Amino acid sequence: MTFRRALTVGGVAALMASAIAVTGAGAGPDATPPGKGKSMALGVCGLGTGKKATGAPIKLAGLDMLIPGVDFTTIGKVAAAYFACVNDNGGIHGRPISYKLYTEALDPNQEKALARKMIEGDKVVGVVGNTSFAECGTNWKYYKSKGFIVIGAGVQAECYSTPSYAMVNSGPRYSNVGAAQALIKAGAKKLAIASPDTISAYADGGPALVAKKAGIPVKIYPTHLPVTDATSQLIQMYQFVGDGGAILIDFTPDTAPAFMKAAEQQGIVDKVLWGSSTPIANTLMSSQFSPAFDGRLWIDNEFSNVDPKVGPDSALMFAILKKYSPKIAPQAFAQMGFLAGKFATNALLSIKGPVTAKTYNAAVRKLKNQKSDMLCKPFYVGALPFHIPNNTNIIVDYKNGNVVVKKGCTAFQAVDKAIAQTRAFEKKFKLNTGK
Amino acid sequence: MADLLALSVFGVDWQFLKPFIVIGLAFGGVYALSGVGLVVLYRATGVLNLAFGAIGAAGALIAYYLINHTSCPQWLAFTVCVLFGGVLNLAYGVIFGPAFARRDPLVKMMGTLALALILLGVMGWRAPAGGAFARFLPLPSSEHHYFIAGTSVNLTQIISIAVALVLTAGVTIFLRLTRLGTAMRALANDREISATLGVPVRRVEAVAWFGSGLACGAAGLLLPDLLTSLDYAALTFLVIASLAAALIGRLRSLWATFFGGMAVGLAQAVLTPYASLSAYRQAAPFVLAIIALLVLSRHRVVTISRTAN
Repeated sequence: MTFRRALTVGGVAALMASAIAVTGAGAGPDATPPGKGKSMALGVCGLGTGKKATGAPIKLAGLDMLIPGVDFTTIGKVAAAYFACVNDNGGIHGRPISYKLYTEALDPNQEKALARKMIEGDKVVGVVGNTSFAECGTNWKYYKSKGFIVIGAGVQAECYSTPSYAMVNSGPRYSNVGAAQALIKAGAKKLAIASPDTISAYADGGPALVAKKAGIPVKIYPTHLPVTDATSQLIQMYQFVGDGGAILIDFTPDTAPAFMKAAEQQGIVDKVLWGSSTPIANTLMSSQFSPAFDGRLWIDNEFSNVDPKVGPDSALMFAILKKYSPKIAPQAFAQMGFLAGKFATNALLSIKGPVTAKTYNAAVRKLKNQKSDMLCKPFYVGALPFHIPNNTNIIVDYKNGNVVVKKGCTAFQAVDKAIAQTRAFEKKFKLNTGK
Repeated sequence: MADLLALSVFGVDWQFLKPFIVIGLAFGGVYALSGVGLVVLYRATGVLNLAFGAIGAAGALIAYYLINHTSCPQWLAFTVCVLFGGVLNLAYGVIFGPAFARRDPLVKMMGTLALALILLGVMGWRAPAGGAFARFLPLPSSEHHYFIAGTSVNLTQIISIAVALVLTAGVTIFLRLTRLGTAMRALANDREISATLGVPVRRVEAVAWFGSGLACGAAGLLLPDLLTSLDYAALTFLVIASLAAALIGRLRSLWATFFGGMAVGLAQAVLTPYASLSAYRQAAPFVLAIIALLVLSRHRVVTISRTAN
């Protein structure tokens, strides 16, 4: 065999081996197993009959953003898993739910087109599980014109200031407000906040108001995603707050770890107080950053702790993920998808007569006092000019690889007029009194 | 000394600037390492390898997989990462090198772009980004910290600079003093004449492909630790900063490439604390490359000819 031929044969073999090797690199982390210890009674999906639904499908759809550094499709995927469980448990009075999840890449034209495709093309009766940095702003007028109200998880201002959305979460602005509140109470003398640049003005504006009200110097660091140099940005933030200051990071678990890892490498974990919005409140994260961050975190969690022992809904979410979506780890985005699926199902089940876009969206507007062990207070929609039903959160921390509650349900500061108005609506219309 | 400590560089305290200099030098080391690999390959084969970052990223993902999903020891996974770069680069060179040998440099470069895109596609397919979790490939060396001139430096950062320095010096000596190095330089000067004179072209090229691939694998191993995340897209685009370094070296000079890489890394990091410039720091490689090209070509004679119809 000549040298050239030997090289060619070796080269082909190496290329093939390389392709196989790269192919094998795919596995992500395993989904965290359900909690140990005492078992919790399972909630039920929909009617909970255990019989497969066989009738004509009821069409629902959702639209989630997927960009480098941020993956919101988990929310829609878990809503889909919830609907699959409903379909295996009698469906909507015998009819299965057909749920289609679309993804968009932070592109307004795509968002517009997909909203129209869902409503006019697919002829869905409802839109459920939407989450995006920009979709609320792009589509709220369209949904309003069509009489639709979306149950999803919000990020930007229009998700919480227009009549077209009823989000199960508080969103980054209010989650950051809760975290800033907790950090200041813990003694922070200065505050540095970082969020993705696309939502920074809205998301960081809330905690900045909290800091200003408390007379604490604050600086915002809009961050372009994907993050290419977390260490440099973190040093910048640390140089601003100094020892004893607070750094609030508002990123999803795709991005936040880069900052936390950089903090470990730079040896500044113990030098400042760390705050975060909800997304990093899960065991997948705590297992990576415990014990380094134990006792150092003030994470505002918009939901209950991610733990099957919390209550029937939490236990059901773990069971649903295990059966229908085993690749998704239990986390806040899963809770959002679960709750969006649950409340949409409750609206569908409440309809007497034909299920149409009109009857479904009317049923959504009638939702109130929707209890879940994942929420501090019941969820509601109501015929309101805007909806911020999730306005009471908890503070959590990491401990020995787990997420632990640091402070129970606390109403976050009414930094915006809308929060005070929301609480007045709740009182006036008895939207979340639990009765 | 007290005056020096209080020194302000364009409004930013010198003390505040020091950590950014360390970060910049460490990134610069990786850019220099990759840039030198690019230049060596270009000189020997005429191929500007745009797949450099993607190959390094794929190697890093394989190491991540081996460490997190098998019982493979870390040292072996890291070795596989570096070797993967060498082997894949060699395989590409052996299979496609002869076919592209007589094509112009642009076509050769596009071939490597195709490899980069294929690798990106495979990585996106088998190891999708997102999924609400992040991958890490930390090196044990990043746990060792030292205080140098009042600022914290970790061992990975020192290694990045040292590897780039040693590689540049080593390759320079190799090209000057060894038979194979002489053959590589001969190829760089004139491929046809070198072949006529009996230089084993394919063998020399294979060594260049393999050697530059090892550099690319090493960069793929160091960069995720410096970035504190294993983001294959970010690693793939490492090639931009490395290309800038190679262009600063005019695709010829290894030492100019080394200093070019360092300058790119430094510029990117040191601009961070300057609020008005921070947003543009990612443009540093392009700006430096353009400046270098303009300065270096200022004495060149441009010949314009007109052909009569």
